[in-house]
Amino acid sequence: MALRENGHYAIEFQDVSRRFILHHERRSSFQDWFIGLFRPRGQAEEFWALRNVTFGIRHGETFGLVGRNGAGKSTLLKLVTRILEPTSGKVRVNGRTYAMLELGAGFHPELSGRDNIFLNGSLYGFSRKDMQRKYEEIVRFAELERFVDMPVKHYSSGMFARLGFGIAVNMEPAIMVIDEVLAVGDAAFQQKCFRALDELKARGTTILFVSHDAEVVRSFCDRAALLVDGHLTDIGPAGDVVDHYEQMLHTGDQPFRLLRVRALDEYRFATEEIEGGQPLRLEVLLRVPAGRDTSGLTLQIDLDRIGGTNLWSTSCALPAELPVAEHALRRDEDDAPDTRVARLLIDRLPLGRGQLRLVASLHDPAGQLIDRTETLVTVRPTNLAQSGLLALDHTWEWEQPAATPADESPARIDSLPR
Amino acid sequence: MVSQAVEVIQYRSLIYNLVTKDLKVRYKNSVLGFVWSLLNPLLMTIVFTIVFTRLLGQTIDHFPVFVMTGLLAWNWTAASVASGTKSLIENAPLITKVYFPRIVLPASVVFSNMAHYLLAFPVIFIFMLIERMRFTPWVLYVPIIWAVQAIFLIGLTLILAAMYVYFRDTSVLVEVGITAWFFLTPIFYRVQDVAPEYEQMMYWFNPMASIIAEQHTILYYGGVPDPLFMLRTLIQSLVLVAIGLLLFNRVSPHLGEHI
Repeated sequence: MALRENGHYAIEFQDVSRRFILHHERRSSFQDWFIGLFRPRGQAEEFWALRNVTFGIRHGETFGLVGRNGAGKSTLLKLVTRILEPTSGKVRVNGRTYAMLELGAGFHPELSGRDNIFLNGSLYGFSRKDMQRKYEEIVRFAELERFVDMPVKHYSSGMFARLGFGIAVNMEPAIMVIDEVLAVGDAAFQQKCFRALDELKARGTTILFVSHDAEVVRSFCDRAALLVDGHLTDIGPAGDVVDHYEQMLHTGDQPFRLLRVRALDEYRFATEEIEGGQPLRLEVLLRVPAGRDTSGLTLQIDLDRIGGTNLWSTSCALPAELPVAEHALRRDEDDAPDTRVARLLIDRLPLGRGQLRLVASLHDPAGQLIDRTETLVTVRPTNLAQSGLLALDHTWEWEQPAATPADESPARIDSLPR
Repeated sequence: MVSQAVEVIQYRSLIYNLVTKDLKVRYKNSVLGFVWSLLNPLLMTIVFTIVFTRLLGQTIDHFPVFVMTGLLAWNWTAASVASGTKSLIENAPLITKVYFPRIVLPASVVFSNMAHYLLAFPVIFIFMLIERMRFTPWVLYVPIIWAVQAIFLIGLTLILAAMYVYFRDTSVLVEVGITAWFFLTPIFYRVQDVAPEYEQMMYWFNPMASIIAEQHTILYYGGVPDPLFMLRTLIQSLVLVAIGLLLFNRVSPHLGEHI
């Protein structure tokens, strides 16, 4: 994805990969080195936690991250928070970041709540003066007025969580990274946390949010991304991505399912911004159970305006065997590669600025609808001199090369594909 | 290196908080806790005095002052080296959860032990008063020696902390090393008495020998310090810091996965 405007993004990943080397026989002492002098070293295995991840999170956006355990969510968060460095690619973070990867990380059990507030603030680079200003508000939020001089080792887990969260929301970070920490505490406290996060949102804080609870991502986030085995397989409006994730998790009663339709950029990365007047690549991910073929099924693609006006539709009978999706290839062998892809290339998308709904639907031989999925993309104009619904290739007559004789029509519409 | 310095300055309140945290935990938040922490050097001084003057017939006058001066400075070094080596690994939960300049961890170990040392330092003056020893204005030179020792210790702990990440038995070597180093440093003996031919060599290769010898010159002998003597130790310490930074900065980006 070409990320053109740098200042536009709070967090930016450009073709980021992160590798971990797993030594089965790791040398971690002088003794190991000494013993290993005359012994061949065990095989090291490499593991890519993230592969070629490219995306951007805009300033002020609430962005969710979903995926199974081990899909690379935590690695991604650690790259954002500079705890890990990328093996290749570039991570750019524009703004002061506060990460809640674990509530109460950095608390010292022997110190009082008060001392821990100051210690924690300074861990994030806040001065004593900053913290004195925020102190009252933190204690008030955490409802710990009576216990603030007590060592935190005597705190209940709820008090611990309240203190950690109280510090976090009062740090006024430009970017807030939250990993799975809202699961603690009672319902009332969770509500309070979400109210506080809503306030942060209203103030324009960028929030990067990870949760196993996909419904929280759906209701709380503007946009989301889905990670599958280190690949960013989907990015888009939170609801759509969560749908995709849930489709992926549940092998439903229907043998065939549409997981996702999405637009790809020129590098074949999922994107939500496409350019009018440029080629458009669409990709449909389908779940095809092992042993079944797709012959006889029909795949239909519709491009609709937001209001529902159908701009264009096409359908095609599927071949018996569709290619396996790239991220599904890497799965363990017991996990059959059941995610298939169908791609559609539109030579030129003759649309101007606006939002476009991409709809994919799958029909059985009798024409009955099996499954349907859709997503929204934003069309950006390439030629700023044009406006309106359409983006048409055109040439003003006086721009014609001198050698060409003038045409009869005043302005000729150039219909040649580019 | 400049941007690193700027970052550390930005995080100075973290160093301050880590040092006060350490002191609060060590003294258990009470004055008596601090008094109690003085017991160790006091008892050690008594033990050394009895063993060396009564049993071994050591002939150094005002022996408690002589030993105390070296012992307090030595304790700062020994404690900093021992816990500074482990400072990264022991804070692993923090390192894997929050980004901050990692150098703050070994540095704050040196500073909190320095604070502990400075709080205990007046005990030397009390011993000097008891022994009716002479105070000279050169006592004001002592803070320069403290500063040199702090720089030396930061360099040393940076190297050891970085090594400990990859070689977990560094701590075993450090333990043995500290014991050997203690005996090779003129704390309870005078080099001139024991092995005068090694005196210069000792000052060259053991910065702690120079640091303690200079304090003896000022506090014990009431003499005049030689600025060039400390300058040499300062240069050695700065070289050590440079090596330490080089090593530490190579290790610190990989801390998130290695600990």
